[in-house]
Amino acid sequence: MSSIKIELRQQDIDKIKEIAASFGNREHELINVLHKCQEHFGYLPAEVQEVVAEELKAPVAKVYGVVSFYSFFTMTPKGKHPISICLGTACYVRGAEKVLDEFKKELSIEVGQTTGNGKFSLSSLRCVGACGLAPVVLVGEKTYGRVAPDDVKNILKEYND
Amino acid sequence: MSEKISISIDGKEIAAEAGANLLQVARDNGIDIPGLCYHRRITPTGACRLCVVKVEGQRGLLMSCTLQVAEGMVVTAFDRELQESRRHTVDYLLAEHNDHDDGTYHDELRILASEYDLLDPAQRKVPNIFRSIGYRVDDTSPVLTYDASKCIKCFRCIKGCDEIQGKNVLSFSERGIVSHIIAGFDIWSESECDGCGECIQLCPTGAIVEKPHRETIKLDQIEKRVKTTCPYCGVGCQIELLVQDGMIVRANGVEGVSPNDGRLCVKGRFGSDYVANRDRLKSPLIKRNGKFEEASWEEALALIASKFSDIKENHGRNALAGYASAKCTNEDNYIFQKFIRIAFGNNNIDYCTRLCHASTVVAMLRSIGDGAGSNSIEDFALTDCLFVTGNNIIETHPVTATYVKQGRAKGMKIIVCDPKWTPLVKYADIWLQPKLGTDVALLNGMIRQIIKDGNTDTNFISERIKGGMEAFEELKELVEKYTPQIVEHITTVPSDIMIRASRMYAEASTAMIATGMGLSQQVTGTHNVFSLINMMLVAGQIGREHCGINPPRGQNNVQGATDVGCSPVNYPGYIPVGDSDNRRRMAALWNVPYEELDAEPGLSTVEIMHAAHRGEVKGLYIMGENPMVTDPDTNHTREALEKLDFLVVQDIFETETTPYADVILPASSYAEKDGTFVNSDRRVLRVRKAVEMPGEAREDWRIIAEIAARMGYSLGSYSDAGEIFDELAQAVPMMRGISWKRIDHQGIQWPCHDPGHPGTSTLFLGKFNTPDGKAVLNPVDYTEQTEKPTAEYPFMLNSGRILYQYHSSTMSRRNKALNDFANEAYVLMNLVDADRLGLRDGDRVRLSNSRGELETILRESTEVAVGELFMPWHFSEAMVNNLTRAELDPYSRIAPFKLSACMVEKV
Repeated sequence: MSSIKIELRQQDIDKIKEIAASFGNREHELINVLHKCQEHFGYLPAEVQEVVAEELKAPVAKVYGVVSFYSFFTMTPKGKHPISICLGTACYVRGAEKVLDEFKKELSIEVGQTTGNGKFSLSSLRCVGACGLAPVVLVGEKTYGRVAPDDVKNILKEYND
Repeated sequence: MSEKISISIDGKEIAAEAGANLLQVARDNGIDIPGLCYHRRITPTGACRLCVVKVEGQRGLLMSCTLQVAEGMVVTAFDRELQESRRHTVDYLLAEHNDHDDGTYHDELRILASEYDLLDPAQRKVPNIFRSIGYRVDDTSPVLTYDASKCIKCFRCIKGCDEIQGKNVLSFSERGIVSHIIAGFDIWSESECDGCGECIQLCPTGAIVEKPHRETIKLDQIEKRVKTTCPYCGVGCQIELLVQDGMIVRANGVEGVSPNDGRLCVKGRFGSDYVANRDRLKSPLIKRNGKFEEASWEEALALIASKFSDIKENHGRNALAGYASAKCTNEDNYIFQKFIRIAFGNNNIDYCTRLCHASTVVAMLRSIGDGAGSNSIEDFALTDCLFVTGNNIIETHPVTATYVKQGRAKGMKIIVCDPKWTPLVKYADIWLQPKLGTDVALLNGMIRQIIKDGNTDTNFISERIKGGMEAFEELKELVEKYTPQIVEHITTVPSDIMIRASRMYAEASTAMIATGMGLSQQVTGTHNVFSLINMMLVAGQIGREHCGINPPRGQNNVQGATDVGCSPVNYPGYIPVGDSDNRRRMAALWNVPYEELDAEPGLSTVEIMHAAHRGEVKGLYIMGENPMVTDPDTNHTREALEKLDFLVVQDIFETETTPYADVILPASSYAEKDGTFVNSDRRVLRVRKAVEMPGEAREDWRIIAEIAARMGYSLGSYSDAGEIFDELAQAVPMMRGISWKRIDHQGIQWPCHDPGHPGTSTLFLGKFNTPDGKAVLNPVDYTEQTEKPTAEYPFMLNSGRILYQYHSSTMSRRNKALNDFANEAYVLMNLVDADRLGLRDGDRVRLSNSRGELETILRESTEVAVGELFMPWHFSEAMVNNLTRAELDPYSRIAPFKLSACMVEKV
């Protein structure tokens, strides 16, 4: 497991308790509770999972097992500018993997990771419904179409703030 | 009883119980259907698909582990198609598997690979890809290693941790081919894993293996496997010791027998390294000019005999005394008490039971006639409501606690009553947290509430309590003043919680009590237990299956040592020393003149020390006890030992007590001798020799007999421990039906009066063991503790045990695995107090009072109430008993280890 050690503030703990309570503190609502927690915190650090486990009276290993099972859940915080590269069929056949490799190279991170300065994070997804623009890259809310590996540097430059 | 039905497997007619598991039925009848995820002790998983069968009338291949047998079922377990299917499955499992075999564990997959001719990779259809997967190894735990490349994801470990041990530490992480077992957040050492090793024992492929002895153990070089009884707490777990090169290299839980059915705790599985520790005493030592020198047995025995004889001649027989040992076998202890009664000629014999459950036993003997637990350990999973008071059962009796947790999973209600948080609180419906030393007030309040609510069992009271409703009225009158408000004022327990607890206990259709040191180790210890028993009696929660009271025993053989007569007031079988008929019987059995058996009760444990301090006891024989750590008020104990003319300590290690000895004798550990222990549910269990004693060490009973012979007394001639047992079974009426031979396979619970009797799982079903068969109410009032917090000593110090260490830690601290978990003393203080005193977690602090002081590490905690402290007492470098006092409970002579006023300051 690689996770960042954080210290939860009382208001964070209260928020998790509130979420758990809204699902009746029932263990079988674990996925829903985690979903809401990730929505709130942006990710699911171990400390959050511990409180969830406590509230639902579930073993921490079970909570962590579920978090690690679903790729939707993440234990690392998303970057300020989350980058998603579509690896759906259309994008893939038009060279999305090479684009992804370029991002990895430029940012020196793997999929699922965040740059040390917290600026960018990298993820892959399956089809955003814009196959005509393949390969497609999303940075935050902004969509880039027909991206070639050579475009990557320029895209990243846009976020030099 | 379930209905008997008939099924057929491969043409064989088989009788079975309706609803039984098909795979288990097949295996029980010698039809060995393979299967890797199934295990009798956990619920079926249906993951490995190896146990496939065909059932007439049903389509396809079905997993037998998921089927229940039904009348007329026609099953095919072996045919070509099934075998082909299984061969494919094994082939696929091997494809992702690291099949390197280091010979250290039993590999069920490897056996199947061999059976299906797949050991040679050339025979396999699926190429092996395990190296490309990048499996992880978690090597962080002090006691085990998990290697995902050997894991077939059968779920046995996860289910064992959950369903058998009730710990729920393990789960499953990620998905697909890289999925693997995790503990906590995937770092074993940071998880809640407490190292019991259930997962190791259940793992079919060696994916989870133990760490100790990993480098040395080779299964094909195991010389013997010896079934014996664990030497730690009083659960009496049956363990199998694997011996290689004369050393114990592994301990497994023995499956299929009571009380543990394969379960162990961390001490049972990883706590036997002390046996081969190089510090073991190997030769007799005689103190000359203040220094211990090695001596021959002949010289040491002659010296002891002459010194004891001199003291007896010059100062009278009452100048001699002995401490027996709850660690030794019944045979050792029986011979020891025989020695004291015949060679010393008095009843000055006691041992550490005086310091743990003496008050419980006194109260139980007076109220219900037996001091032993009324139920079986398995009943902890079967009762509807469990009231646990002053007993940290998860840490002190971990395997009994597994049954509690199983009961909990099925809906059992749990009430914990403890001033300090214990892990059981996590499982409890109600936690009553009374102020230290206020138990009687709380229990009387609960009794009053039970009466007010009409939850008394009037039939039971009329028929089974001495004096019936009249006696009840007397109690009713006494408890009337314990209103919820007054009880709350005294105990700080909120009245609504107290009321809820009394209803939960009394209204349950069956309820059991587990009581521990928290209740017994007080000046009012006997009163506490009287009050507890009163509550049980008015609610009628005894005298039926799954009802009663149980004091789980702290040491492996506390029960047995008293059963066989290591008591200043009782002969073997709890017969008072004053009973002349019994003494006549014993004199005949022991072949000694009746007149020489002393009819006067002797001195108890702490009284022996007091008498030594006064110069009245001059010679003391200590077998396997360490009073310098275990007795209250250590400074007083030291002075008493120094005043003795002659002290013999017989032990397996030098201890805090041995420096005061004149002669130290090297004795045998549990693994080096044959004998028996009696566990907490009165089960007489075999102890078997697994390894040789070190150096010139000898079996305890042989040493005692040699000393007696040199003093001119014969204790009998025995060729082995079995002969001693068969004699003691005659001396102890409730064991009369038990013989060495009968307990070879499985223990028997006393009372067992004749050889055809199966033993007794629940006491008091028909009557109590009192003279008239009725229980006795003993109404008692709450009295304030004599020791109170003062301005100078504002804190009340409580003491207790932790899971990883044991008693004075002579044994447990000589196991690396246990020390890796916990090897440091500490004191728990409430955050509020720590803040107020400006103390921080990790500070070195001094605790002191008028009796002594100690230094230790402070831990801030919410486990203790404001104004109260808690310390584990295992660590001699921070000796809690420097602070305790030797003020005794008037009935049982127990000392108040749980309540010592003291002050705390930063060092």
